[in-house]
Amino acid sequence: MGQLKIGVYVCNCGTNIAHIVDPDAVRETAAQLPDVVIARSYRYMCSNPGQEMIIKDIQELGLNRVVVSACSPRMHERTFRAACKAGGLNPYLCDMANIREQCSWVHADRLMATEKAVGLTRAAVNRVRWQEPLDGLTAEMCASTLVLGAGIAGLTAALELALAGHPVYLVEKTDRLGGNLARVDLTAPYLDSARDLLTERLEHLRENPNIKVMLNSELKNLSGFIGNFSATVGTHNGHEPPEEKTFHVGNVIVATGYREFDASRVTHYGYGKLPDVITSFEFEQMLRSGRIQTKSGRAPQYVAIIHCVGSRSREFHGYCSRVCCMTALKYAHEIKSALPESHVCDVYIDMHAFGKGCEDFYRTSSEVKTLFLMYGKNEHPVIRKADPKDDCGMLIEVDEKLSGERVEIPADLVILMVGMEARPDALEVARLVNISADKDGWFIESHPKLDPVATTTDGIYIAGTCAAPKDIPDSVAQARAAAGRIMARIAKGKIEIDGVFAEVDGDRCSGCRMCNELCPYSAIEFDADKRRSHVIPAACKACGACVAACPSGAIKGRHFTDQQICAQIEGVLA
Amino acid sequence: MSYEPKIVGFLCNWCSYTGADLAGTSRIQYPPNIRIIRVMCSARIDPTFVVDALAKGADGVLICGCHPGDCHYSEGNYKAMRRFPLLKKLLQSYGVEDDRVRQTWVSASEGQRFADVVTDMTERVRALGPSRIHAALLADQRER
Repeated sequence: MGQLKIGVYVCNCGTNIAHIVDPDAVRETAAQLPDVVIARSYRYMCSNPGQEMIIKDIQELGLNRVVVSACSPRMHERTFRAACKAGGLNPYLCDMANIREQCSWVHADRLMATEKAVGLTRAAVNRVRWQEPLDGLTAEMCASTLVLGAGIAGLTAALELALAGHPVYLVEKTDRLGGNLARVDLTAPYLDSARDLLTERLEHLRENPNIKVMLNSELKNLSGFIGNFSATVGTHNGHEPPEEKTFHVGNVIVATGYREFDASRVTHYGYGKLPDVITSFEFEQMLRSGRIQTKSGRAPQYVAIIHCVGSRSREFHGYCSRVCCMTALKYAHEIKSALPESHVCDVYIDMHAFGKGCEDFYRTSSEVKTLFLMYGKNEHPVIRKADPKDDCGMLIEVDEKLSGERVEIPADLVILMVGMEARPDALEVARLVNISADKDGWFIESHPKLDPVATTTDGIYIAGTCAAPKDIPDSVAQARAAAGRIMARIAKGKIEIDGVFAEVDGDRCSGCRMCNELCPYSAIEFDADKRRSHVIPAACKACGACVAACPSGAIKGRHFTDQQICAQIEGVLA
Repeated sequence: MSYEPKIVGFLCNWCSYTGADLAGTSRIQYPPNIRIIRVMCSARIDPTFVVDALAKGADGVLICGCHPGDCHYSEGNYKAMRRFPLLKKLLQSYGVEDDRVRQTWVSASEGQRFADVVTDMTERVRALGPSRIHAALLADQRER
């Protein structure tokens, strides 16, 4: 491999690393390692001067390997690979030691944390010796996009792409467009009509020839890789089995939305037993029909709105569903304008009014004479049927937190603000498109802050409430972001495929075909004439299952070779 | 100085390594005895890596992958799971205690679980005392 010249760069990350790990000790130990020609530490290696330092050393000292001891490679591997490339070094000749997320942030003992950082750095130096220059491949980018779900996020993403001239397949499970937004009357905080918001989208959609809408349809299978997916969609058209169509797409946007929490799971609110306890969606239905009334057909004199049903609870969902507080305030406005004589009471835990215009909305709602009663997170109100002598249908007992008193309020209609939860088929969708879901079933983004609409699978994007509860503006923003990301990829024309994939050494392959079966992507083909297997690089996703399984040791996992991993093991244990 | 066990962790990139990073971003503390090596999938973990780590002086080896049904490569963790009992049997026949080598699942959202797994493993390996394998191999080499 010629004369090795390794450069080691230890990042202080401000004080993030340096307050626990001694960067100078790491640098000094690294400088003593064989073939290390330069070792430096710096405040922020990822900053421009930090990167310039690496580039300059590559050029002036002739470095042919670079080790950066800093944050997680999931954070900045791309950055330092790019710096190597800028310096004229193949980006795969760079390795990182994770001394922040997996060291300084999780340990308090300076001595032991420094010793660990030294070990991780030594392992990276050991490993980088065995790293080889790799070249990626290029493939065509298909300009069509598959959008799953035709709620506000899916519709918006589809339109954005179609308006830019790109073909879109919009696949919707139900028989109509609009998703959950189609079930809503007015929207908070500006009291715009949801119907108007949707009509505007749907008009554009109808006029656009680039969008193929597929109702009553579901994704059945997705294979391939970014730029070159093959999607099979099944459509229920009254016949069994559903009619299946397969088409070619370059990217996929998952915008499958949420479902509302099932209020009957909360037994103490009597939903399903007390006829005038209804969910927020049932109330939206009432608002849309223009008649706010009890089951017996009377206008309610007392309306109570109970917040956080299924949300922010130990028993059901721990998270906040984000839209219910403002929706509840909207109800107060709508009830007061339809029935000015009625009394509205909001029974809440905390009022979450974080969005633009929301705090103002909260203030004006307080001014329309709504009664606000605060209850403790784990001391829920109790609803019971009133006596015939009472002037109301039901009575609600609340341990009111601000006054510290137990309050009883009358109610003729109780609205339960049901939260959002992941759809029951979320895990099935995640499996089909090869993305992950968190413990609550929400899809996981590539990075929660820096890469919120991409996923860990290249070419698969998420938008709207399938990723977590959010309101309309956030869903629309994500949809447009996902569409924007895709358009940027389409504009580039070709896509670059990572240089990391498996390779079969034809001379050592015995032709047993064990790997053919093992590969989840059918990326290994068997040449019957030569009786040998070979990998299709563009289809390989570099999991390395075949590498570990090959009985002849004939498969090499590029960038994760046996030598590289064993050198790392030796490094951490030295 | 008291005995500090050395533990090598092989973590899959998508779930467990990300989960370990999450423990970091959440500042969840755990013992510093573990040294993590990243692989793309738990299916890449050749049993010889585990043997190699023990031979080179590890007192314990931890293998972490995505939860069953949640593998980034759809079923790599099942492959790793099937391979594991055979490895354990082999190690057992060489006298390697059960607690020294563990395989478990940590998702990308389970920073706390990762910290708990490492804490538990470190205490168990500490209780076992230093592994004899490395020393025995060194003695064996000297005899030859």
